[in-house]
Amino acid sequence: MMLNSIMYSKWAQYMFIGVSAPGKPKLTSCRSPEKETFTCWWEPGEDGGLPTTYALYYHLENSETVYECPDYKTAGNNSCFFNKNDTSLWVNYNITVVATNALGKNISEPVEVDVAYIVQPNTPENVTAVVVDEDQGPFVRVSWEKPRTADTRSGWITLLYQLRVKQQKDKEWEEYNAGMQKYYNVFSLHPDTEFMVQVRCKPDHGFWSEWTQTTYIKMPDYIPRQRSLWIIITIFSVFIVLILTWTLNVKRNSVKLCLLPPVPGPKIKGFDKQLLKSGKTEEVFNSLVIQGFPPTIDYDDLLVEYLEVYDNEEQELVLDGKDLSEDCIKSKSPSDCDSGRGSCDSRTLLLEKCMVGRKGSGSDQHQYSQHGETSWASTESSECQGLEPGSPESSDGRVKTWPVVFSSPQPHHHYQAETVKPVYHSVPEILNHSSPHIMPTNYHHLHHQDIPQQEGRHGKPACRHSQSYNHFNLDGLNTPAPGVSPSRSLEYVEVQRVNPENMLLLRPLSDPNREPEGSDYAGEDYSKVKEVTSNNILLLRRDTSHHCVDDYSQASQCTTQQPPHPCKPVIYQSNSGMPQEGMRVMGNGYVDSTVLMPSY
Amino acid sequence: MTQGSRLYFAVTVLMCAFVSINGVGLNDLLERASQLSDKLHSLSTSLTNDLDSHFPPVGRVMMPRPSMCHTSSLQIPNDKDQALKIPEDELLSLARSLLLAWSDPLALLSSEASSLAHPERNTIDSKTKELQDNINSLGAGLEHVFQKMGSSSDNLSSLPFYTSSLGQDKTSRLVNFHFLLSCFRRDSHKIDSFLKVLRCRAAKKRPEMC
Repeated sequence: MMLNSIMYSKWAQYMFIGVSAPGKPKLTSCRSPEKETFTCWWEPGEDGGLPTTYALYYHLENSETVYECPDYKTAGNNSCFFNKNDTSLWVNYNITVVATNALGKNISEPVEVDVAYIVQPNTPENVTAVVVDEDQGPFVRVSWEKPRTADTRSGWITLLYQLRVKQQKDKEWEEYNAGMQKYYNVFSLHPDTEFMVQVRCKPDHGFWSEWTQTTYIKMPDYIPRQRSLWIIITIFSVFIVLILTWTLNVKRNSVKLCLLPPVPGPKIKGFDKQLLKSGKTEEVFNSLVIQGFPPTIDYDDLLVEYLEVYDNEEQELVLDGKDLSEDCIKSKSPSDCDSGRGSCDSRTLLLEKCMVGRKGSGSDQHQYSQHGETSWASTESSECQGLEPGSPESSDGRVKTWPVVFSSPQPHHHYQAETVKPVYHSVPEILNHSSPHIMPTNYHHLHHQDIPQQEGRHGKPACRHSQSYNHFNLDGLNTPAPGVSPSRSLEYVEVQRVNPENMLLLRPLSDPNREPEGSDYAGEDYSKVKEVTSNNILLLRRDTSHHCVDDYSQASQCTTQQPPHPCKPVIYQSNSGMPQEGMRVMGNGYVDSTVLMPSY
Repeated sequence: MTQGSRLYFAVTVLMCAFVSINGVGLNDLLERASQLSDKLHSLSTSLTNDLDSHFPPVGRVMMPRPSMCHTSSLQIPNDKDQALKIPEDELLSLARSLLLAWSDPLALLSSEASSLAHPERNTIDSKTKELQDNINSLGAGLEHVFQKMGSSSDNLSSLPFYTSSLGQDKTSRLVNFHFLLSCFRRDSHKIDSFLKVLRCRAAKKRPEMC
């Protein structure tokens, strides 16, 4: 009882003071910086109020011998440093720390440590950063040295390095792995700023070291080369150029049209450009050539051919179409100053257009040659009306104009339906009948029945002729048609002359009195075309004779000329849109030459 | 064949022969071997971490001591001074011996990995397979190194592995798996260290690497 009370009082003593055995210490970590030594740190538990001593004990895995820490000082408080001699690799260390104080001791939990797995090197040393100026721009070269203790030369430890960079104001670091090398180039740093650099290292299998102290580097103030900007600009402009080129290519037709407006080419009907391009000029021009043009005129024929005149209105006026055309062709030139003999050779028929028209068709079988002259038909009715004054029936009828011999195939409304276009007309012979009524000279009344009033008048045989057609006024011509009984006989006549009374004097070829009667007959039976004036007046020349033929067209715009006149103005009208017969004016102002010559 | 093509063919054959005889330089071979051993140890470390994530505490108590590893009988240098004193061919034979000692156990681990009572079983299984492949490659590479070094004797230690099974119950199997793996992890570290010492010793012309 006494003993218990003594022990109790002692315990109570301590209880009152508040001290106890030390708390349990705890080993926090063990590290080896170079795989040759290692250090362990512990943290003490509650010391219990009394001075506590700590001791570290260890034993190796394959032995029971317990060793105490050889060095408590080197590594600082609460540490144990194992030097080279005490360090073995690939061996487990069983380490415990014992805390001891007056009241007791406490043992930490044991820790198994293999030095090979606790390697954490020291920080790299001598970190330097320099600015290197290059063509592409300045950059920073960071270099350092290995931690002094690490033996990388022998390969015992292998270190990998890492660095990080940031500006002062940045939050995040930019980390770069440098591998096993001891330098690194940092590019693309902002100019005129200060950067912070830190480096650390790690063994191949181990822990990262601590970061080094910050190294400061200032980037110089340089103008960035802006190479990338130029590259972007170049690429952009190339892109634009490509787009423009492509657009131009797509629209090349309209561009070509804008820059090089097309030259109007020749628009000659029948003209084949492809043939021209192929180089066969002969073929090209052959298509333009109209057979039979220019007609080869046998000059003698002009003199030889005669006009066959019929007395009968029913009789056709037969003309030698072929020769007529030749004559027409020959006399086409207004400035042709030949004798005009051929032209005055009355191949053409003097026709009473209106008379015929009014009389109706009369049962004529007139064949009209087919010519492409569609242009003739248009104003014939008006001309017919204009022709009113001279009614041939009155036998004072004014002369009708020389109608176009070769009429167009168009039907003319005011004519009878059965009227057929005369191919050619034969001048009704009035020889037989002319004597009593007719002037001494034989006047031939040529009337053309059912000849549609043509637009173009040809004088002479040049019906087709573009330029000239003569209007011969026949005054006072008795129409043999109404009054004279037509005879069927055919006789050829020739135009002797035209008398002042605007009469066409015809005389038969067989007429023995071929010599001209009348003083005023000049030797000239033919009229030469002198010229064509500007207002479409064909001036015929008559050298000696004062007889001039006054032509008046039955159109409105022609004027009559007073004889005597050295020239016989041949007025041919050009009706609306019809400058010349035989030449059809195309809608676009070009001349259609295909209808120039008749096709038989 | 034309003259030119014949000549070209002959040159190619000669070059192939030369390459096969000399092959890659020793430095490059050791470099490649070091890389492989590094990979080997990294794999084993990661496997260990996977296993430790769900290891029953009781297992740690049951864990055999590391000295129970079948390769513990091999005399190896334990510190740098010892290691640097060993000649290269001895270092190489040590590395090769260790490597050779683990081909069978790894096969066992590989077969057992798929039936481990562990949530990370699949990952462990795939990594174990990869481990096996690496070991085979490294073994072949070290053979080349050995031939390259031209050692007279092939001083390989035999480290037999007699265990055929990891255990009967899943816990003991898991524990034994873990133990075997830990033995391998240490040995792979040894191999890696020895080879890197060899690498630096051979790479006299590349001091910046060592």
